[in-house]
Amino acid sequence: MSGQSFLSTSGTEIAFVLVGIVALGAALLTVTTRQLVHAALWLVVALGALAVEYLLLTAEFVAWVQVLIYVGAVVVLLLFGLMLTRAPIGPSPDADSRHRPLAAAVAVAAAALLVTVVADAFRTTWITLRPGAGSAEANGIGLFRAWVLPFEALSVLLLAALVGAIVLSRRRAARPGVHEEADD
Amino acid sequence: MNSLLGLLIAAPLLGAAVLLLGGRFVDRVAPVLGSALAGLSFVLGAILFSNLLGKPASGRAIDSDLFTWMHVGTFKADAAFHLDQLSMTFVLLITGVGTLIHIYSIGYMAHDEKRRKFFGYLNLFLAAMLILVLADNYLLLYVGWEGVGLASYLLIGFWQHKPSAATAAKKAFLVNRVGDIGLAVAVFLMFTTFGTFTFQGILHPSVVSSAGQGKATALGLVLLLAACGKSAQVPLQSWLGDAMEGPTPVSALIHAATMVTAGVYLITRSSAIFNAAPTAQLAVVCVGAVTLLFGAIVGCAKDDIKKALAGSTMSQIGYMILAAGLGPIGYVFAIMHLVTHGFFKAGLFLGAGSIMHAREDEVDMRKYGGLWKKMPWTFATFGLGYLAIIGFPGLSGFFSKDKIIEAAFAKGGTEGWILGGAALLGAAITAYYMSRIMVMTFFGKPRYTTKAEGGTSPEAHESPAVMVAPMVVLAVGSVFAGGFFSLGSRFLHWLEPVTGHSEGHSPVSTGVLTAATIVLMLLGMGLAWFQYGMREVPAAAPRSIWPVRLARRDLGQDDFNHAVFVRGGTRFADGLAEFDAKGVDGAVRGVAGAVGGGSSRLRKLQNGYVRSYAFSMFGGAVLIVAATLFMRAV
Amino acid sequence: MSATAVAAPAVHSLWTTAAAAPIHAPKIEYAQLSPILVVLGAAVAGILVEAFVPRRARYGTQLAVTLIGLAGAFAAVVGLAATGYATTKADLAAMGSIAVDGPSLFLQGTLILVTAVGVLAIAERGLEPQSREVPHVDAFAPQAAAVPGSEDEKAAARAGWSTTEVFPLTLFALSGMLVFPAAGDLLTLFIGLEILSLPLYLMCALARRRRLLSQESAVKYFLLGAFASAFFLFGTALLYGYAGTLDLGGIAKVVTGDAAPNAALNASAHGDALLLIGGAMIVMGLLFKVGAVPFHAWTPDVYQGAPTPITGFMAAATKVAAFGALLRLLYVALPEMRWDWRPVMWGVAILTMALGAIVAVTQTDVKRMLAYSSIAHAGFLLTGVIAGNKQGVSAVLFYLAAYSFVTLGAFAVVTLVRDAGGEATHLSRWDGLGRRSPLVAVTFALFLLAFAGIPLTSGFSGKFAVFSAAAKGGAVPLVVVGVLCSAVAAFFYVRVIVRMFFAEPRADGPSVAVPSALTGTAIAVGAAATLVLGVFPQWAFDLADKASVFIR
Repeated sequence: MSGQSFLSTSGTEIAFVLVGIVALGAALLTVTTRQLVHAALWLVVALGALAVEYLLLTAEFVAWVQVLIYVGAVVVLLLFGLMLTRAPIGPSPDADSRHRPLAAAVAVAAAALLVTVVADAFRTTWITLRPGAGSAEANGIGLFRAWVLPFEALSVLLLAALVGAIVLSRRRAARPGVHEEADD
Repeated sequence: MNSLLGLLIAAPLLGAAVLLLGGRFVDRVAPVLGSALAGLSFVLGAILFSNLLGKPASGRAIDSDLFTWMHVGTFKADAAFHLDQLSMTFVLLITGVGTLIHIYSIGYMAHDEKRRKFFGYLNLFLAAMLILVLADNYLLLYVGWEGVGLASYLLIGFWQHKPSAATAAKKAFLVNRVGDIGLAVAVFLMFTTFGTFTFQGILHPSVVSSAGQGKATALGLVLLLAACGKSAQVPLQSWLGDAMEGPTPVSALIHAATMVTAGVYLITRSSAIFNAAPTAQLAVVCVGAVTLLFGAIVGCAKDDIKKALAGSTMSQIGYMILAAGLGPIGYVFAIMHLVTHGFFKAGLFLGAGSIMHAREDEVDMRKYGGLWKKMPWTFATFGLGYLAIIGFPGLSGFFSKDKIIEAAFAKGGTEGWILGGAALLGAAITAYYMSRIMVMTFFGKPRYTTKAEGGTSPEAHESPAVMVAPMVVLAVGSVFAGGFFSLGSRFLHWLEPVTGHSEGHSPVSTGVLTAATIVLMLLGMGLAWFQYGMREVPAAAPRSIWPVRLARRDLGQDDFNHAVFVRGGTRFADGLAEFDAKGVDGAVRGVAGAVGGGSSRLRKLQNGYVRSYAFSMFGGAVLIVAATLFMRAV
Repeated sequence: MSATAVAAPAVHSLWTTAAAAPIHAPKIEYAQLSPILVVLGAAVAGILVEAFVPRRARYGTQLAVTLIGLAGAFAAVVGLAATGYATTKADLAAMGSIAVDGPSLFLQGTLILVTAVGVLAIAERGLEPQSREVPHVDAFAPQAAAVPGSEDEKAAARAGWSTTEVFPLTLFALSGMLVFPAAGDLLTLFIGLEILSLPLYLMCALARRRRLLSQESAVKYFLLGAFASAFFLFGTALLYGYAGTLDLGGIAKVVTGDAAPNAALNASAHGDALLLIGGAMIVMGLLFKVGAVPFHAWTPDVYQGAPTPITGFMAAATKVAAFGALLRLLYVALPEMRWDWRPVMWGVAILTMALGAIVAVTQTDVKRMLAYSSIAHAGFLLTGVIAGNKQGVSAVLFYLAAYSFVTLGAFAVVTLVRDAGGEATHLSRWDGLGRRSPLVAVTFALFLLAFAGIPLTSGFSGKFAVFSAAAKGGAVPLVVVGVLCSAVAAFFYVRVIVRMFFAEPRADGPSVAVPSALTGTAIAVGAAATLVLGVFPQWAFDLADKASVFIR
């Protein structure tokens, strides 16, 4: 595996770049399209492309999680949100605001920062990918050994969020004079 | 013995805590509890006194380290107490007179609904005053200093429902702050100069001289400012007259016998600093001389018996300050006069209180007259106090005041003559205004009509025993204390190890001075008798020539303050408001400018929109990252 | 399973690989984690109480569970400290995720006490106007989902409902706060941050009065908090890219060169940009939590909108936890970087002190004024952080303990001053309060004097400690700015005191509600701590001094 360089590209690398271009293009379309539903669907493409990138980096577990959580749950949630709030289907001219250049500047700045920092840090370093380094097993060992406390603490966070969601959204019909409810 | 020292302060402190926080449960026991704890404190003081007497004269001191308040780096401040002859004298005076006045208040405040608070405040005052005189460093002294100021403020405004009392309390509060700033600056200066606050570490001739005369003079002047505030000396004297709005026992204890003498204590305690700073000493004697005349003149013109006595207090403390400013020839006499004054002035105020008690809080002496028959005990005790204060031969005031006059002449040179002259003149005026009070109150025909006679005034009557007894004790002190102290120079030998003493050489012989004093005293008495005893005293103050009118208006102290400070202050406040409107706002915008660029950004930044907040965070983040990278680059 | 593996060794199977390389169980030191675990246990018990205990008994049960849990957790902290975990036996627990050392235990103890006092104020039910049907009314919305001002909401109030979930939520927040300053790696730090934040976001939305303001504040806090978390995560990623580890101690080793960084970086050690930017971004995430300029904008809005007992708890406890985490990050992970972060922190500290003090001058709402005052205090605390020495750590620890009780007490007093519209927070309504209810006014004045740093209050001791540590650490100009800002700040504190005692009371002025024993105790504890730490601060200094060594 050693002796590889940027000049002799493998098939994986070519695929990586191509998928990357897809992800970038889909992301651009997400923020530029004037149809909200289209934006959500383009987001699916962008996130899916990211999942493929993870796969190409041998991180299989993370890739499937990406598909399950982002493509599956998050985008579906988004679509449901659009549906339930009766957002207009079709082009909506007011989906844009005059802060567009500002947002673009922030996005470009963040991207530039990341790119320069990573490029500056790693330069010509070559990292060889070991198959299985991102497997479910490796992730599991990491999660349940080294990171067991943060992992468990995360469940506490979810519990707190659950309780909070109930507190904020629960509605009971109030009948004046009735202090005790049978069910709760 | 060390623990007794802590207990001495703890007793009234406990009383204050119980009485102020105890709620209604302790309402009924409040007067007795407050007095008992004050009494306990006095008993402890007496035990410590006998203990001190048992030690050799050079080693009469007890130290008690309570705890280290703070120890950060080189800064070390302890809550530690130091009992020596000087503080012992004060402890006995404070707890002794304090206990008597507590007892007196049982009768005087019997019908007041807020008795519990009153005794709580009195106990608080005792504790704070004891901390003040027992502290072994200036920082702790400052704590006590502020504590007595607080108690004084609370007690002056005790009858808050009277607007005049609330105003008087505020005035006392504000004027005292000016003096307190002096003490605060002094404490800072001491730490930066000497690196410590303790008396032991600072008050040594070699230490003070190592700091240089400039520093010593500066320290002396700010300490004098502090003393002026607390002891009502010119130019910070204006609050004392109004402070008489407080209940009379308070006037007796705080505004006559103890707290107002804290300035004298401060100067005497800091003798090492003043000895090294002749300029500051000169300032002290000037303040003392001016105040002793100022107070005396004000005392001559007041018809309100308490305000007349307040003028007298000012004047008497002027004597003490004068003596303290004279240096080693005067310290002992300053303190001796302080103690005797504590007796007779407290007695006089209690007498005045007794009269007010009988006359439903009437304070105008023009509506008194002929009370000696109705209130024989009050008359007798007040009369003895009167004789003591004017320096009647053989009584307390005679010994202590004479010594001060003598020491003033002993200062030598023109200075000596001027100061001695002022002190002598003061003695004459004292005799005049005190005789005026005496005559207007007790002699002549009653200038009021009682209800029985169809008038509005109640029939005067003697006060209850619980009030008379303290007056009798104080009268005994007024008569004998001076003689007892002077016999064999007892007081001098007692105090000398702390304050130091050097005999002055008066250009005028003692005999001549004594004779002159007595003659001037008799002159003053005669003049008062001629004016008020031989003629009918008009019920309303007659229109008089301008000096008298001026004196009635406290020699224009308030007009002066108004013109200089109030109007100046108003202008300053207006300027401040202007500054607030333009300057502070401008500064606010300036800060915003630094944050977001552009002067009106702050309003925009705090506009309530999350997106703006987020944007400001983002901008801040960019700035911080840029700054971090920039710092590495340079 | 193994039979299958033997029978068909050639078949690739997930089961067999798992059996071939068994996961070794992680080592968890339960005793050392006990403070956190006890609090979590109490929180979970609180949720069970919500589910199974009848409504009538819920309030009492919740309060009891909460206070017992806090007492247990505090006992655990004391026990750990007494057995030497603060000094000689200090160690990393739970696979390096939690550092059990002096600062951790000191801050955890402080946090538990602060929460206990905060819970007393939260549990108060006697201040709101009550009726015969609804004898107990707390400070929280009876039904948070109801549209503000709607009939629904009124009906819920009439029915006497109450949101007792605040107790477990408070405990959840506390558990996050306990993790936060003790985190041994960046991941735990981040999760601690989220656990402490989320319940606070929620509780901000629960004010009974001024619902809209309350909901607005919660949304703002949530959005901006998420934004700040994003900074924090971004920074974490960058730092991981630099060091190849998330352990704070490991990062420090890579910075000093004692350990090899990320294997990939061996060839070209050019990762300083990663380190600098990553570190800066993590610090920003923490600066948001402490409310330092320029990440302070949420503070006044949220402090004003949140229910006042929650504001008090949040203002006191969040600051303690976040400064603890900031100290640990800067002193454990990035000590060698201090020549980089110190100048930047100088700027942040100066801006924070100045803006907090200056803008507070023009505030007219007492809660907003206290918010700006808390910004200024964040600046004063930063001077102690910048000191960069052991004395600085102990000074900050002391300051946090002192400041949090003053804050709790001050906000508890704010809940007492009321008129028909709920709390009367406009400053002009406080005119002449000293005449009407001297005890309340004197107590509030005590807290204000402590904020201003007047001697014999805890505020003075704390300020003195941080300033002298900073001066010793070579930051004398910073101390000068700090003292100047204190002077400006003292101006507006004293202005409130002057209003209370010297202004004429207004005829239509607010009334002062008589608190029940709960709020009474909270205020009394706050006042007592203010005085004790002002008059006898030395033992606390010694304690903080002993606890000021971090474990790597």
